Amino acid sequence: MLFSYNWLQSFFKKKLPKPEKLAEVLAMHFFEVEEVEKKGNDFTLDIDVLPNRGSDCFSHLGIAREISTLLNIELKEFEDEVQEINNNAKDFIKLQVSSKKDCNRYTARVINNVKVGSSPGWIKEKLKVLGLKPINNIVDIVNYVMLETGQPLHAFDLDKITDRKIIVRRAQRGERITTLDNERYALDKNILVIADNKRPIAIAGIKGGKKTEIDRKTKSVVLESANFNAKTVRQGSKTIDLKTDASWRFEHGIDLNLTESAINRAAYLIQEIAKGKVCKGLIDFYPKKPVAKKIKLDLNYIQSLLGVKIPVSKIKIILKKLGFNILKSSSSEFLVGVPTFRLDISIPEDLIEEIGRIYGYENIESVFPIGALIPSKRNFNVFWKNKIKDILKEAGFSELYNYSFVNKKQGEMFGYDVSSMLELENPLSDNYQYLRPSLMPNMLAVFKENQKNFKNIKIFELGNVFLKKRKVEEKRMLTGIMSGDSFYEMKGIVDTLLNKLGISDVWYDQYKPTPEDSKKSVWHPKKIAEIKVSQEEIGFLGEISPKIIEELKIESRVVIFDLDFKKLKKLASEEAEFIPISPYPSAIRDIAVLVPKDVLVEQVLNKINVIGGVLIRDVDLFDIYEGEELPDGKKNLAFHIIYQAKDKTLSSKEIDEIQNKIIKALEQELDWEVRK
Amino acid sequence: MPKIDLKSLKKRAEKEIKNSKNLKGLNDIYKKYLDKKGELSKVLRSLKKLPKAKRIKLGKEANELKVYLKKIIEQKNKKLKERSRKQVYEKEWIDITIPARKPVLGHLHPLTQVKRETEEIFQLMGFSVIEGPEVETEWYNFDALNIPKDHPARDSWDTFYLKNRLLLRTHTSPVQIRYMEKNNPPLRIIVPGRIFRHEATDAYHEFNFYQLEGLMVDKQVSAANFKAVLQEFYRQFFRKPIKIRMRPSYFPFVEPSFEVDMSCTVCLGKGCPTCGRTGWQEMMGAGMVHPNVLKNSGLNPKNWQGFAFGMGLERLAMMKYKINDIRLFYKGDLRFLKQF
Repeated sequence: MLFSYNWLQSFFKKKLPKPEKLAEVLAMHFFEVEEVEKKGNDFTLDIDVLPNRGSDCFSHLGIAREISTLLNIELKEFEDEVQEINNNAKDFIKLQVSSKKDCNRYTARVINNVKVGSSPGWIKEKLKVLGLKPINNIVDIVNYVMLETGQPLHAFDLDKITDRKIIVRRAQRGERITTLDNERYALDKNILVIADNKRPIAIAGIKGGKKTEIDRKTKSVVLESANFNAKTVRQGSKTIDLKTDASWRFEHGIDLNLTESAINRAAYLIQEIAKGKVCKGLIDFYPKKPVAKKIKLDLNYIQSLLGVKIPVSKIKIILKKLGFNILKSSSSEFLVGVPTFRLDISIPEDLIEEIGRIYGYENIESVFPIGALIPSKRNFNVFWKNKIKDILKEAGFSELYNYSFVNKKQGEMFGYDVSSMLELENPLSDNYQYLRPSLMPNMLAVFKENQKNFKNIKIFELGNVFLKKRKVEEKRMLTGIMSGDSFYEMKGIVDTLLNKLGISDVWYDQYKPTPEDSKKSVWHPKKIAEIKVSQEEIGFLGEISPKIIEELKIESRVVIFDLDFKKLKKLASEEAEFIPISPYPSAIRDIAVLVPKDVLVEQVLNKINVIGGVLIRDVDLFDIYEGEELPDGKKNLAFHIIYQAKDKTLSSKEIDEIQNKIIKALEQELDWEVRK
Repeated sequence: MPKIDLKSLKKRAEKEIKNSKNLKGLNDIYKKYLDKKGELSKVLRSLKKLPKAKRIKLGKEANELKVYLKKIIEQKNKKLKERSRKQVYEKEWIDITIPARKPVLGHLHPLTQVKRETEEIFQLMGFSVIEGPEVETEWYNFDALNIPKDHPARDSWDTFYLKNRLLLRTHTSPVQIRYMEKNNPPLRIIVPGRIFRHEATDAYHEFNFYQLEGLMVDKQVSAANFKAVLQEFYRQFFRKPIKIRMRPSYFPFVEPSFEVDMSCTVCLGKGCPTCGRTGWQEMMGAGMVHPNVLKNSGLNPKNWQGFAFGMGLERLAMMKYKINDIRLFYKGDLRFLKQF
C-alpha cells in the first residue's frame, strides 16, 4: 500500500529521517517497504502492510503512530473543531438500520450550504501522489480522510435521497444499482445496501450509487461513517466481484470508535474548505460498544519466548508508546489495556510480538536449545525412497519431477475416464484440470521432448498419484521408462531393483486385464507382465501400446515399469546374508531343447533346476532360435548349466549322471526333444 | 672325418647371430648350431672317436663355445624382443586428446539432492523427517492453523480446490497439526514436501513446488533458539560463516512471526549485485507456534511452546547451483537434469 512521505511528515514537528532511512527502520521493526519512489516534491513508500494490521495501518495515522514509537518522537495534536449550527441533523434525515448484524455502528452528519468546487492544492496533491483522481472538494475530502484515518466514508446528496430516509438493509433479489463509475450491478440477499425509501443508493462498504452522487449543484450533504461487518462486506465484494479501497479496509475490520473521529474530521474539513454548515448532532446507531481488552502479561514468559532479557522499563515504554495502558503492574506481571484500534491484539503472545519487534529482533542473540538428547526417528519412507533412487541412478536412470496435474485427454489416453480422476474446482488452465492418476502421462510427454536431444533415454519418477475412489486415494508410485525394444533389459532393472531391496520370491505373471482395462489398455497386448511377489501384484512391466506411441508422436518403442511404492516399502528388507563362495571347481555342460513355440523358458528352467537341485549353481539361457531348419511350430532353447558343489569337487561321472537325468526329465514332456 | 674347425664355426655363428633380423631368424640360428642335430652338437658327438687328450681339449673348447653361443643368442634375443616391442608401441600410438567416451550414469534430481542434504543436517540436530498428504482438508490447511474462514489472511494462500471441497495443501504446515495430534512433546521435526499455489508461473514462481517445514516444541523454546538452529543449518548447507536476522512479519499460525534473512552467500553481507547491495537475502517465514495451533493439536499451550518455519527447497537449490529459472526443475529436460 502506498503512503506519502510528506503526509507522514505532517504528523510530526520534528523532521523525519530521509525516505530510504525511514523505509529501513520500518522494514526492521514494522513491515517491509517494497519501494521508495520520488514523485514531484514527495516520495511514496510502498509498505507491505500485512492483514493483521489492516485494521489500523491502512492509514497514514496508523503508520505515523508506528513511526512515533520507533523513532521516539511525538505525534502532533490536531485541533479540529466542528462548529455546529442550530439546525438538528435529525430533522433532515432519518436513519433505520434493519440488518443489525451487518452493521456495528452507523454515524451520519448533515452539512448544509456546501459550495462544491475543486479542492485546494494540498489535498489534490496528496491524492494524486497516491494514485487517486481528484473529483470535487466533497468527494476528495471523504477520500482524504479515509487515507488519513483508515475509515471509509461516503457523502450523499441529501436532496437526492427519496423521503430523506437512509435504510441499512440486505438487498432483494432483482434490485439493481448503478454505481458512481457507471457500472451496473445486479444485487441479491448476500449484499448489504444503503437504501432510501425507493431503492439502493449505495453498496454498503463497497461503493456509492450514481443517483445520490455529489455534483456541482449539491447544496446539502449527508456524510456517512459506518462500521460494517467485515464478513458481510467480504461476502458482498466476492459476490459482485468488486474490490474497492473501502471494501478492502472493512474486510480487515476497523475500530468502532474511529467512525466518530473520522466523521468529525471530514465535517471539519468540509466546513473549512467547502464552507458548509454542520448541523447539530451526530446521528449514531451504536448498539454495542466494544469492551476494552485486558491482557495479563507474564514478564518471565517474555524472556522465555524471545530468549532475551529486556529491561522492564524498556517494556513499559514500548507498550505505552504503542498506545497500550499498563493498568496494573507487579514484579512479575502486567495487566495491559488494549486500545480499541488494535483489533489484532488479544493474547499475551501478541503483546510479546509488539515488544520484540520494537526492541528489535536483531538484538536477540542466538542460543542453542537445551533439552533432552532424543535422537531423531528413522523414517522408513524416506530411507527406502533414497535407496530406490540410488539403485536406479546406479542403473543409469535420471530422475524427473513432473507437475501433479494432467489434462482430460492425457487421462483418457491412459485409460482413466473423468469419473476416476480428481478434478480441480479452479484449475490454472485446461491443461492442468485433473490430478495425475498415474505418473506415466507426464513422463511420456517429457520423454517425447527429450527425444529431440537424446537417443537412449532412461528416466524415472517417484511421486504421488491421485484416484477418485470412495475416498480420495493418494498413492506413491515409482515409474521408470526406457527407450527401445528393451523389455528384457527393463526386466533386468526391475529384478535388480527388487533384489537390492531385499525382496525375494519375485516372478512375472501373465497380464490379466480387468474388463475395464481391456477396453483401453495402455500396454502392448503381447509384451506386458504383472510383477508379483509371492501372490501379490506389486506393479507392471511392459511395452507401451504402439497406438499410444503413435498418438503421442514418440519415435521409438518405450518400455515402462510401474510399481506401487507402499508395497515395495512393506516388502523391502535390510537383511542380507552372504553366500559362501565354493572353493571347488565348477563345470559347464550345455543342453539344447527343441520345444513347441508356446512353451515358456521358465517351464524348462524349472525342470532343470528341480532335477539339479543344489548341485546346479546357475542355468544360463544363451540362445533362442526359431527358423526354417526347425520343424514347424518349434523353437530351440540352448542353456549353459553350471554345476558346482559346496563341499567337494564333482567328478565328471557324477555330472553326467545328473545331466542324463535332466535330459530324461525334459524328454518326458510331450513334444520336447533334447538335441544331441 | 672332417676337420674340426671350432674357430671358423664360432666366426660363422657370431656373424649370423649379429646379422639376424628377427626372432624367427635367431631361432633358426639356434637350431642350426645348438639343437641336437645342430652343428655344434654334431661336433661334440664326433669327439668320441678322438684320442683322449685331444678329446678333452676339444671337448672343453666346444662346450665353452656352446655356452658362449647360448649367451650371445640370449643377448641378441633380448635386443630383438626389445626392438619388436618398440615397433609395436609405435604402431599403438594414440591421440590422448580425443574426447572421452563417458559411462552412462544416472542422475538424481537437484531437488532430491538438496532435500537429502537438508534432511541430513536437521537429523544431526535431532529433527525427525515426517511426511504428510498432498490432498488436504480445509481444517488442516487453514482452520487448525488459526487461519479462519472469511478472513482476508486466507487470501494470502492462493489455493487449488478440488470439486469435493478438499484442497491441495498450500504449505507443509498441516503436518504440524497431524504430527502433534499423535505425538507428545518434546518434539523436533522437519517436513519436506510438495505444495501447491494457484498462481501464474514465471522464473521465480511455480504452481507446485517444495517446502521444508520445521517444528520444535518443548518446555522452553525461544526465538533465540530458532536463530541458533537456523543459522547452524545455513552454515552447514552453504559451508560459509552465514548470519541470519529476523524481521517482523505476519503468519496466523505463529506469534511472533518472522521474516528470516540470511547474510548474502556471495558477499557475506558486504553488499553486492546478487543481494541488491543490502547484504541480505530473504529466505523464509517463521515464528513462535501460536497457542491456538497447539490447542488445535490437542496440546496445552500453558505447558508447551516452540518455533516453526517453512523454507522453499527450490530457492536453496537455485542459490546452491546458481539456477535462474524455477521452471527448469519441472520441465524434465535431460540437458538440465544430467548436470546434477
